[in-house]
Amino acid sequence: MSASKTTGGKAIDILRNLPRISLANLRPNPGARKTERRRGRGAHGGNKSGRGHKGERQRGNRPRLGFEGGQTPFYLAIPKYGYNEGHSLRPQYQPLSLRRLQYLIDLGRVDTSQPIDLTQLVNGRGVTVQPLKRDYGVHLVEEGADIFSAKINIEVQRATEGAVAAIERNGGVITTGFYDFRSLTILCKPVPFFLSGQPIPKRMLPGEDMVRYYTGAENRGYLSDPEEVERARQELAQKYGYVLPDISKDELFHMLSMRKDCRQIFFGLAPGWVVNMAERKILKPTDEKLLRYYGS
Amino acid sequence: MRVNYVFQFCSLWRTRATESGPMASSSTAEQKCAVVESTEEYKYVERLIPPTKIPTPPLHDGPAPSGWRPPSAVTPDLPYMVRRSRLHNVPVYTDLTHGNRKTTLLRKIEGDIWALENDVKEYLVQLTGKIPLTQVNEVTMSIRIKGHFDKELKEWLLEKGF
Repeated sequence: MSASKTTGGKAIDILRNLPRISLANLRPNPGARKTERRRGRGAHGGNKSGRGHKGERQRGNRPRLGFEGGQTPFYLAIPKYGYNEGHSLRPQYQPLSLRRLQYLIDLGRVDTSQPIDLTQLVNGRGVTVQPLKRDYGVHLVEEGADIFSAKINIEVQRATEGAVAAIERNGGVITTGFYDFRSLTILCKPVPFFLSGQPIPKRMLPGEDMVRYYTGAENRGYLSDPEEVERARQELAQKYGYVLPDISKDELFHMLSMRKDCRQIFFGLAPGWVVNMAERKILKPTDEKLLRYYGS
Repeated sequence: MRVNYVFQFCSLWRTRATESGPMASSSTAEQKCAVVESTEEYKYVERLIPPTKIPTPPLHDGPAPSGWRPPSAVTPDLPYMVRRSRLHNVPVYTDLTHGNRKTTLLRKIEGDIWALENDVKEYLVQLTGKIPLTQVNEVTMSIRIKGHFDKELKEWLLEKGF
């Protein structure tokens, strides 16, 4: 129970009363250091020193690793197949479970009174997205769907059906949106982008392979028809067996129905604008050509 | 029921301020200048700036849906104290070295560390039936236990009120 006031507790109290520590009175715990086996020290001078009798083994001239004496080796006999072909061009999504999302909401790292965006998730240090490593965003996964109970307006890049059902069951709204590489980098790190002084670019539309996903109502794509989305919500409620809450009567209905335009990267900021953080101002272009370009 | 989405972006383009900026009047009449608009939309930029401080968790009635529980308001009357980590979690961590060596680390201990070690040993003896091997580091004020006991130790510490 004699805990010393300084760090070190009992150990430092004991040390103070012992004689000076030097190499002469230190030794490791028995069994901590095992003496190594040295070759060439046995009876008769070690004889062959563990090298065998004559041949390549004793003379140190063995062939390369994988050589099988002339038989076609394993690594050449098996035919090639493109398992990893184009791996650096495949889109990847950082998974986000509903359990982790609920944890972030509970600790106050993600604000549910505003629409949840990838920027909000990154600011709350919930996910880390690396656009340079072929990440295209965040994938919402239904791990923890049974404990999830938060009403949110969330925008992700991919979502599983179970995750969509869990969010809508609690009266929330989920959308999937596409961000190209530049828009994604800006979305993840908006402050360095604003400091660079460039105008906010317009978000590009998805490529051919992703159009189908983002125009589908069952994925709640941002390019899909709102009526189809409504039908899909009813069907999903029937499939998963819950009553779909009516969000139009909700007090947060305005926040829940906020959506980004298909060319918009940030809520409230349009493409073409330049943000001046030092003077807390936003500069908007007035030239007609620029307006037509950014408005298209 | 049709949800009428609020497309913010479309309405933004209709508000085009035609007043010129303060600097343009001296130059030629043809000069186009960017219109400066402050504070109205700057609040959206403020929302995007990442916070520098870790936010304090909001109050919950009992455990939160994710299973997180705050430390009890009353400090438990024990000779030791286990603080929460920076992100308000219980500081029990598991480690796996050499592919097969499982240890549990209990950090951020203050006060009488040997009393805590005794209590931990008593508790784990009840659970497993054998006395766990423990290592007390008085300099870093942490306890390392052989085996993975993170879930059990976290619950045990939460029950104590840490």
